[in-house]
Amino acid sequence: MNIDVASYQPPADQTAWLGTDPIPAKAYYDPDYYELERQAIFMRTWLTIGHVCELLEPGSFIRRDLEFAKASILIVRGKDGVIRGFHNACTHRGTQLEGRGEGKANAFICPYHRWNFGLDGALRSAPDFERFYTTKENCALKPVSVDVCGGMIFVNLDPEPAQSLHEFLGEYIVERLETIPAAKATDFCEYTYEIDANWKLTYDNFQESYHLKFIHPRTGAASYTPENPFGYPENYGFHGVHRSQQFWPNYNPDVTTPVQQTVFPMLAGYATEKGLMPDPTNREYYAVFPGFFIFGSPTQHFSHVVYPISATRSRGVIRLYWVGDWETASDRFAREYCLAIAREVHVEDVNVIKAGQRGLNSGALEHIHFQALEGLCRHLYLVSNGIVEAYKAEQEAAGEAQ
Amino acid sequence: MTEPVQLPEGFATLEPFVARWSLRTSAERDRARGDSTEEEREAFYAAAQPLLEAALSYLDGFPARQLGEKEQRLMDLVLSLAHVSLAVEVQKEMEEQHARQRNDMPITRSVTDPA
Ligand code: FES
Ligand SMILES: [Fe+2]
Repeated sequence: MNIDVASYQPPADQTAWLGTDPIPAKAYYDPDYYELERQAIFMRTWLTIGHVCELLEPGSFIRRDLEFAKASILIVRGKDGVIRGFHNACTHRGTQLEGRGEGKANAFICPYHRWNFGLDGALRSAPDFERFYTTKENCALKPVSVDVCGGMIFVNLDPEPAQSLHEFLGEYIVERLETIPAAKATDFCEYTYEIDANWKLTYDNFQESYHLKFIHPRTGAASYTPENPFGYPENYGFHGVHRSQQFWPNYNPDVTTPVQQTVFPMLAGYATEKGLMPDPTNREYYAVFPGFFIFGSPTQHFSHVVYPISATRSRGVIRLYWVGDWETASDRFAREYCLAIAREVHVEDVNVIKAGQRGLNSGALEHIHFQALEGLCRHLYLVSNGIVEAYKAEQEAAGEAQ
Repeated sequence: MTEPVQLPEGFATLEPFVARWSLRTSAERDRARGDSTEEEREAFYAAAQPLLEAALSYLDGFPARQLGEKEQRLMDLVLSLAHVSLAVEVQKEMEEQHARQRNDMPITRSVTDPA
């Protein structure tokens, strides 16, 4: 490709509008601040929780536990094909209905006194129900708001979300999520982690390139060149509460190893064969508030969600979505390699994120600092904090009104 | 005494690696990488990398989900090279440290695992 790499210009000016103030460190360790975020953001924002390829047939369900809400959620495809969400809690005396993480069901039957719920959440039958002082209509499973965009399943723990999923995502993100290869995915690889670190501290690691050279000296080697020694991105985009960036391609990587040289043409073949090329999202990364991001590339793709557990603990789920099954040994090998190399890089981040949290926990630092090319991290703080402040004002107004 | 032949013809030099590296799931292959010594990884890589393309094009000649026993063994063996090559080609002397960190991020699902 005939690209003048020396013309690379870091997009520092694109983050100028975010301001330059140091950021209060409290937002990354303080339990009181986290409690506000939990109420203001996580209990009432659309959150990515799965993919439609997990719910292929009527009766397919997944169970997802959201620690920050102490909630267990069932997401199920009904006999009518509609995807619905319910709290995994029997309406008799609360017993969790499903212990499995995923599976198929005709009904959810409580293990305690055998109340029987349909896939639409309705209480169908209950032994000796005549002796209760309520109606079956009153005993349907507690619903959870669910919607889908680009194959991604989102839930909202607010029983009446202030915005629809599409309103929340906005036109740009909706259009992109529907365009990326993951929208057509039929299966995925997954690896997960739990980490002693705040959700923003964890997430921020994955939305800045400043650390790449130091934390990924080997695995990222192809991205560092004299023209762009830190592997900074080419462009940033801000879309309401969401963000995007366009990775710098380094058209002339000089570090390819023999096995990579075998794999990369196979991946290009996969992308062409599945009709994923040319792909407008090839080098684009979409950061969907609060904790989700997905890289659009059809060949080096992955998605990542960070869920908070406490002020200083989080859980991450990383997935590589694939379109269609592997059909040949080469295809299978390429998918194994993609899983291994994506995880190879992510593994390197865990220790340094934990060290960041250990440094913040004492409260010795009042502030942390983001440079111009850590603008996505600054944006996440500003957006989150804006929502927290609005929530506090709302609570105060409600308190005064009483 | 000759050992029974475990792999298809043409891949005899990989026979000594079958017991350690021919594994059914991605998580098992990752664990084998973590449990192995540098010498084991290097010996496997040195034998398998030059045969990778030959093995894949040989296996591509069969229906991928109905491999014979020997072909299946070769497939599972070659899949381990995806992991081991990262240790040998990329991490090098940083592999020990990397191996400890890998335990923090278990593989929970893989499309390459048997259904
Ligand atoms: S708690 Fe479920 S039937 Fe009693
Ligand atoms: Fe990183």
